[in-house]
Amino acid sequence: MNTASLVVLIALLLTVGGFALAIRPRGVSTLDFYLAGQRVGVVTNASAICGDYFSAASFLGVAAAVYVSGLDGVWYATGFAAGFVPVVLFVAAPLRRFGEFSIPDFLARRLDSERVRLVAVGVVQLIILSYLVPQAVGSGITWQLLVGQGVAGLSPYATGVIVSTAAITGLVAFGGMRGTTWSQAVQFLLLLTALVWLAIAVLASGFNYGTAVGELDAAPLMNPVSEQEGDWELATTPNRLEEDVPATFGEPGARYGAFGQFALITTLVMGTAGLPHVMNRFFTSPTGRAARMTTVWVLGLAGLFYALAVMLGTAARSLIPGAVADHPWLDELTVDGVLRVPEHALPVLGRIYGGEAGLGLVAAGALVAVMSTIAGLLLASAASWGHDVYERHINPGATQGQAVWAGRATVIVVAFASAGLALGMRPETLTALLPSIVATMVTWAFALAGSALTPVFILTIWWRQTTATGAVAGMVAGAASAIAMFVAGVAIGDDELGEVLMTPTIVAAPIAAAVTILVSRRTSVPANLDQLWVKLHGTAADRHAERLARLTIAGVIDKGAKRDARR
Amino acid sequence: MNQDEHDTPAEVDATVRTLRRVAVGYFVVLVVGIVGVPGLTLVLDWWSEGRLLGGMSPSFVMAAFGLYLFFFVIGVAAATLSSAVESRMLGGPDDRLADEYVDQDGGQA
Amino acid sequence: MRGGSQLLATVQAAVWGIVYLVTQVLADPPLGLGTTLIIGIVLTVLLTLGYPSALRGPRGVRTSRPPWARRALTSPAGSSTRHSSRSTRTLAAVGRPMPLRSGLTEDAALRTARLLRPLLGGDAVAITDREQVLAFVGPGGGHHKVGDPPQTEATARVLATGRTVVVRHRSKLSCPQEDCPLQSAVVAPLAIGKRIAGTLKVYRVYPDPPARDLVEGMAGILSLHLELAELDRERNLAVDAKLDALRAQINPHFLFNILNTIASKARTDPEEARQLLLRLSDFFRYAVRQDGHFAEFGQEYFFVRTYIALEQARYGDRVRVKYDIDPQVLTAHVPVLTIQPLVENAVKHGLADKLEGGTITLKARVDPLTRTTAIQVADNGIGIPPAVLDKIMLGELDATGGVGLRNISQRLETLFGERYRFDIQSTEGTGTVIDLRIPLR
Repeated sequence: MNTASLVVLIALLLTVGGFALAIRPRGVSTLDFYLAGQRVGVVTNASAICGDYFSAASFLGVAAAVYVSGLDGVWYATGFAAGFVPVVLFVAAPLRRFGEFSIPDFLARRLDSERVRLVAVGVVQLIILSYLVPQAVGSGITWQLLVGQGVAGLSPYATGVIVSTAAITGLVAFGGMRGTTWSQAVQFLLLLTALVWLAIAVLASGFNYGTAVGELDAAPLMNPVSEQEGDWELATTPNRLEEDVPATFGEPGARYGAFGQFALITTLVMGTAGLPHVMNRFFTSPTGRAARMTTVWVLGLAGLFYALAVMLGTAARSLIPGAVADHPWLDELTVDGVLRVPEHALPVLGRIYGGEAGLGLVAAGALVAVMSTIAGLLLASAASWGHDVYERHINPGATQGQAVWAGRATVIVVAFASAGLALGMRPETLTALLPSIVATMVTWAFALAGSALTPVFILTIWWRQTTATGAVAGMVAGAASAIAMFVAGVAIGDDELGEVLMTPTIVAAPIAAAVTILVSRRTSVPANLDQLWVKLHGTAADRHAERLARLTIAGVIDKGAKRDARR
Repeated sequence: MNQDEHDTPAEVDATVRTLRRVAVGYFVVLVVGIVGVPGLTLVLDWWSEGRLLGGMSPSFVMAAFGLYLFFFVIGVAAATLSSAVESRMLGGPDDRLADEYVDQDGGQA
Repeated sequence: MRGGSQLLATVQAAVWGIVYLVTQVLADPPLGLGTTLIIGIVLTVLLTLGYPSALRGPRGVRTSRPPWARRALTSPAGSSTRHSSRSTRTLAAVGRPMPLRSGLTEDAALRTARLLRPLLGGDAVAITDREQVLAFVGPGGGHHKVGDPPQTEATARVLATGRTVVVRHRSKLSCPQEDCPLQSAVVAPLAIGKRIAGTLKVYRVYPDPPARDLVEGMAGILSLHLELAELDRERNLAVDAKLDALRAQINPHFLFNILNTIASKARTDPEEARQLLLRLSDFFRYAVRQDGHFAEFGQEYFFVRTYIALEQARYGDRVRVKYDIDPQVLTAHVPVLTIQPLVENAVKHGLADKLEGGTITLKARVDPLTRTTAIQVADNGIGIPPAVLDKIMLGELDATGGVGLRNISQRLETLFGERYRFDIQSTEGTGTVIDLRIPLR
């Protein structure tokens, strides 16, 4: 790490942080703190959702997964991108129309039950925590590569985890949501800029995507393994589809068996609709239709983002061996031209093509990805603790100020809990077991969300007969079966069955849905179901809002015309 | 024109049923696409061994570009269809025209 | 083969094209014949199955033009059964092979005369109706003016006898103008059925007259077109009249009851009374504004909803309703003011006299492959006894208010000929089911 990249990194981070602080809201009410007053433009909101969603797993993790496993790693990108299709189909518009604060709030009001609220808070907190840990790991890895040394006797990895957590916690706790909605959007733009710049640089250097895949495909896929501490060598990756043929980059089999890839994709596709920090963004759209169009924008941006990430993962695999000779600093990161830690793929590409400043840009992108996702997660956590538990069950007479402080306290506690867990995991010890650790860890959060929350969520929106008891049973059954399968998967280890058990949604989500339906059939629906249904799916409020907006616009134009006429 | 109109439960119920049919239909399309790309690998050798665009297999092309376009198209199609269905099945036909055409309307009457 | 089926065929062709391109041209080496066929067949089956599904329907929000204006503008594209008297003129202007198809008007006559002059070997061509010259093209046009009464004695004879007259001498033409260049003429009658509606006159500037059988034959063709135009107009008049009857027939009892309900609500629940008044004005606005014969199903659906909301204000929970509607049907065109009378029929003859009330189900589907719109209105009311049903079908119950189903079936017949189905099944005690199937447009 030298001065140039540090300067670029710090300048970018200061810009983003300054932006968040500069437009910090003046008067703080809980509504402002959590939801930015429910008026945010479609494209801004789409960018903010992307900022929330594209975490270290997307930025570093997808490229890393592609780098390690080739085509089988691409399924991560596919799954992450496809996750928003169920959102636009089933969730976005009704969720916004019902218009509550958070997922637990939504479920509780829709099913008219406080029990549902508390169970949902539990599930949401679990999801958030399992999403926060890989983000902290990601920032630790980035720091390790970028700075390479620790502060105050800590290892570089630990320093990265603690510094990034502390910085973002401060921003979230004292910046407020309006700051972060805009800053999420700005952060996403920075992320996209880094990726696009890298893609252009790589393509301009004469990289031919198609040919590169063809060339990589010609030889078996080799990855470094560490037999003993510090002793690395390359080994062929076994093929899980055909025993006797070595796995190659452009063909499936390097990572997943026949069933494993479906399990992974199902997990990722179903997971997104249950991610609390992403869903909370939909409450800030002005109307249901706007929420839907926001999701379409997100789909477009996500497609662009992941297509580039996949291409860069391929480029790293193809270009880094040839660069080792010219770049002596690569020696300690690689084994015969293959990176030891696949998450280094993008930063290394950045340094090859942009020198120290390029490394700074990519590193800033990675840190920003981590920061914006952590911020979104912490806010979702604060919203569910502060609003759903503290204001309703612990201190029902809380003032606005007390509620905001409860949220801030939650932010700090949750952030440091996740940092603690991240410190407990040493990424080097896990990479041999699980290539592209960050992307893999994020799938745990997706699995939990897709198993416990998404089925119940979709049923409460689209099936009138869903009851509170049914939803509670469904969430518990989904979460329990997902966790049980996951634990069994870790115990079995890294063979095909273990792989499927570690992406449990394909089994757990149907269980959750079945339990919800069976229990709902035996219990009774809320008494005011018709009203709830009209509120959830009716467009009267939307039409009213649209009419008001049109009138306002017409009024502004009218006024402007009159003012011009007076001149 | 229907300034403060409310939706009736029967109307909303009808809309939900229509929208649900749309959503489930597109979800099936999504599943077919998502399962189809890795699934063809198992049944069709050409899918992973053919060569397009230089050196990519058709499966790689789909995973690297095609599916993202597919998702976007599904998203656009479903979102526009749902919104159009909503605007026709709830509220009056003049709802969104009300303000633009209020004057002309008065002129005709 | 319009619209949907054609689209499906095109898409299928394109799919096979792409399959060929990908498997035989882009792929290296090309795929075997069997694999290629399997891929193509699977895609074809998927497409065909997916075609009539719920994936299709309106896109985007409605245009910023008011629906009534838009309909009037789009209607000329349709077939001749579709246009109202108002859009007939637009249709003629679009240009048909024979202008007189739209009737014996000045504009059509002029264009016909221009069209015929080179064909008939005459120097001047004139078309007259019984009273005046509608068009004159060629030398002598200076004093043979449009709007003048026909001057030649030959014309009067043709109009009187219905036989073709050949004039070989200038003196027989008896043109009052001395320097008229016209020397000879053939005057043939234009007949609508047995009635002589006008004449076709072909002149020459020299004494040898044009070929008589050519002119006569052409006059015969024109007569046929005129006859068809007359039929069109009569048919349109008939449909218009029925539509007018429908508009005028908004059930006075219904109006009276609704106004009573509103009056009583005005005291107990002014807000609801206001809502009802708005709905009522929507109801009338829609009924009165319909000037075409077709409307989008979405608009008819709105009309039904408005009607049901008004009836529910009166009957309360006794009238329940369930809609089951395909997205694609929303933009299909259906005969205007058709569905609401069916629903009204269900309320009046099914639920009104049933103490505990009942449910009306309106189900609308589109089958794109057979190009059919299917609409079903079912109720679980008391059912209609066969004798009463006959009376309703004959329109004899109109006096007690409401629109006879006969009016609807007559209109359907004039609009679609044989290509519709309108079935009523009623069982006493279990309810009535009305099935309506019309071509999708």
